[in-house]
Amino acid sequence: MNRKIGVYICECGPNIAEKVDIDRVIEAVSSLDDVAVVERYKLLCSEDGKKFLVEQIKKHGITHLVVAACSPREHLKTFMEVCENAGINPYLFQLANIREQCAWITDDKDEATKKAIRLTKAAIGRVHYHASLDKKQIESNPDVLVIGGGVAGIEVSLQLASPDRKVYLIEKDSLLGGLAKNFEKTFPDMQPCSNFIQQKIEDVQKNNNIEVLADSEVEEILGFFGNFEVTVKKKAEDNCIVNLDVGAIVLATGSTLFDPKDLSQYGYQKLENVITSLEFEKMNLSGKISLKNGKTPKSVAIIHCVGRDEKGYCSEICCMYSIKFVRYLKDKIPGINVSNLYSDLCIPGKSYQQFYEKTQGKNISFTRVADIKITKKGNQLNIEFKDEKVNKNNMSVDMVILSPALEPTSDTSRLAGFTRISQGNAGFFSEGHEKLKPVSTSTEGVFIAGCSQSPKSIADTITQAEAVTGKIFTSLVPGKKIEPEVKVSHISEALCIGCKTCLDVCSYGCINFDEAKKVSVVNEVICRGCGNCVAACPSGAAALKHFTFNQIYQELKEAVQ
Amino acid sequence: MNDKKNNSDILVIGAGISGIEASLMLSKSGRKVHLVEKTSITGGSVIKFEEVFSNMECSTCMVAPLQQELLQDKNINLLTLAEVKDVKGSFGDFKVKINKKARYVDMVNCIGCNACFEPCPVNLKNDFEEGLSERKAIYVPCSGALPNVPMIDTENCLHFKGKDCKACQEACMFEAIDFGQKDEQIELNVGAIIVSTGFSTFDLKNTPQYGYGKIDDVYTAFELERLYASNGPTEGKILLKSGKTPKSVAIIHCVGRDKTGYCSSVCCMYSLKFNHYLKSKIPEVDISEFYTDLVIPGKSHQKFYEKMREKGTKMIRAKDAEVTKQGQKIAIKYADGSGKKTSNTVDMVVLTPSIVPKTDASDLAKILGITVDDYGFFKEKDKNVSSVVTTKPGVFIVGCSHGPKNIQSSVSQASAAVGKILSSKEGRLE
Repeated sequence: MNRKIGVYICECGPNIAEKVDIDRVIEAVSSLDDVAVVERYKLLCSEDGKKFLVEQIKKHGITHLVVAACSPREHLKTFMEVCENAGINPYLFQLANIREQCAWITDDKDEATKKAIRLTKAAIGRVHYHASLDKKQIESNPDVLVIGGGVAGIEVSLQLASPDRKVYLIEKDSLLGGLAKNFEKTFPDMQPCSNFIQQKIEDVQKNNNIEVLADSEVEEILGFFGNFEVTVKKKAEDNCIVNLDVGAIVLATGSTLFDPKDLSQYGYQKLENVITSLEFEKMNLSGKISLKNGKTPKSVAIIHCVGRDEKGYCSEICCMYSIKFVRYLKDKIPGINVSNLYSDLCIPGKSYQQFYEKTQGKNISFTRVADIKITKKGNQLNIEFKDEKVNKNNMSVDMVILSPALEPTSDTSRLAGFTRISQGNAGFFSEGHEKLKPVSTSTEGVFIAGCSQSPKSIADTITQAEAVTGKIFTSLVPGKKIEPEVKVSHISEALCIGCKTCLDVCSYGCINFDEAKKVSVVNEVICRGCGNCVAACPSGAAALKHFTFNQIYQELKEAVQ
Repeated sequence: MNDKKNNSDILVIGAGISGIEASLMLSKSGRKVHLVEKTSITGGSVIKFEEVFSNMECSTCMVAPLQQELLQDKNINLLTLAEVKDVKGSFGDFKVKINKKARYVDMVNCIGCNACFEPCPVNLKNDFEEGLSERKAIYVPCSGALPNVPMIDTENCLHFKGKDCKACQEACMFEAIDFGQKDEQIELNVGAIIVSTGFSTFDLKNTPQYGYGKIDDVYTAFELERLYASNGPTEGKILLKSGKTPKSVAIIHCVGRDKTGYCSSVCCMYSLKFNHYLKSKIPEVDISEFYTDLVIPGKSHQKFYEKMREKGTKMIRAKDAEVTKQGQKIAIKYADGSGKKTSNTVDMVVLTPSIVPKTDASDLAKILGITVDDYGFFKEKDKNVSSVVTTKPGVFIVGCSHGPKNIQSSVSQASAAVGKILSSKEGRLE
């Protein structure tokens, strides 16, 4: 094919025209190979300018377009649209930034002009090697697999399920409801919790568009956003295997309590009447708060931050549920003495402090302490501690409730492996971006909700579950095709030496190894074009479309010559 | 059966990070979005921060691509300098009246070259920079503002005060300045409304014990953000009023918490971030953090705290802090954890004021038919059901207008509101 490169230089009013000698730029690039036309124009991004470009492309039969103007951030999209309107592929275009990178950064017109010439030549050099890239569309499956039947999983399922979107809800236990089914009430409004969860479970069971697979576990996940294939083992039915086809996967596997038995200072599982917060929730829900000997406790100590030092993070909700426990105890055992032993009171947000303040009162104390040690003292438990005034203090109580750190459930790593997403230091699933992608992950189509992402309250868990549905509703629409990235990697079968280096560096798990041909193959649907494989490939077999070796080399060569 | 078709268009009020997120998501699903923003630019509070905890990512680099995407999105009708004045109707069919003030600069013709600023003879304090720098009567609040189109402040522009000044118009090569622009009354029909109007900060006049406004070198957190910002008034130099570099800085947490009655949830974390700010500019600076309780919840924040501690920051648990001038220095008197009175002296003090609702939040609540809580933040109907659903069906609340929260939680709520709309029978498209 004969290339006819059209080069158009924008004056940007006086912005470029006064700071760059555009005539010199025209002179410098006019005789370059394949350059058919070089023209200047007062404002190419204006409606007239865009019309002018379309007319020029058609009139001169231009095959490749170079515009020397402003930052791609400003008008890359504008000029790619011009290409489409003129009937040439938008990737046969290159924008040279001679405004922000030349005109606006120096008063020296000669220097600005020299640099503008280099950048324009670089763009021309590069565009020579540009290839047409076409958008692809792939069919997608709108159905969703939700893993974990706690608050997050239930909420996601109820909100997503509809006649045109089936939801499979997998729970490894026999019962839905997660940890929260054990809680009588939620903080800070002391609203019913377990009853509320039971209601939601019934809603799930009544919903024809939700299929619950209890006692089941995921065995394998293949495929990609829009087309995942999942293998599930049903433990209750002789480990029978079920295959599910879904478009998206939601990980909502929750969290579990750090086991305090290794922290000998608390005496857990050695001393009677030292129990964990979850054990206390269950005891409270059963209707009778009692000591091992069947008697009702007259004094209780709640110890916050158990295992925080060991885990290295604050579990966010322990202060609040500990305050809720005070409410439970006060309401059910009139006159009871409750002591909270804490290190920092973590009650963030608009409504928590009020809850804390309203919980205070007679026989209720909150003490900042360190160095706790619990021992048996007659029929009671003795707690030795250091507070802010006294170096060695102690108290005797009937019962101790430990509020241990939350940690990810045991199947978190397995699922992270199946879905190729990472886990942070603490083992929770990593979100796609700390700020901007709280429920997405590095694998497209895999979402996270609830405490499997980080410890959080029921309210925040519900918010995240809703956020996941927002993401799925807007990206996986029934009947709509998915458009994958076009600037993806390609591995040449002829050049690949089969070393598999690329498989190790790919962050998206999009490279497979063809054992028969002994070559790596990129799945273009999953590839996001990060370029890791290209940089790592020792044989030059991997190339990134629109950032090929020749394109970059030619651009650099002209820029630094 | 109601045969009336629900309107699929959505109104988003406030173009901060959560409003942007909601708008882009809705547009992606093919919805038309009307995004109403009170100021002349998008980005809200987040673009005032140079870096965000805990990865210390450049905030502008994080948000600018989204702002740019927003401006280029054909499904999103961005209405700047605009305020919602009236809302009637119900979920699926709201009628909204909007007052859009004239910018007096044409959004299409202006290319953002800033040539109009220099000739303007009026100099004013720039609120975006917390009054730490000046702007003209025609201005964009900061470099990198998006849309990068100035506005004319008619209260101070000589032309609008009846003087014969056309300096900006004469300087503009693109015929973008149009003194004849008029305010517009816009009426829209939408199916649902997302409110993301953000927050304000506690007025330090109510806490005179901290000496703000009276003692030099007592700054607010937002002022420090701008002093550190590379596009800010000092281009990132942190200096005392005297021009000297501070050798010691105190950061006082929980300013205003006694009065507001809640923990603002992000101050501990951004105060720790300030350690990084100060140490990166002034490696030998001595930093003390005066705090009551360290609130650093979640899986990653304590690691950040530990990293900051390694830089040698002193963590001082303090009550009843009082700031006074002591010669060239600033004294902080306080009671320590055991109640013992003591004091420290430093060169600079940074106050972290409570996050409070916008002053007009209750007015907007009335217009929208939603409620506010004891503190004036927009109130959710039921925490157990959803944090974004209000008592008025079809009106959703997200971000700090609902209560103090970090960026991650704000973005989650934006996405949650979108999920709520698209899953409801009124918001679902047939």
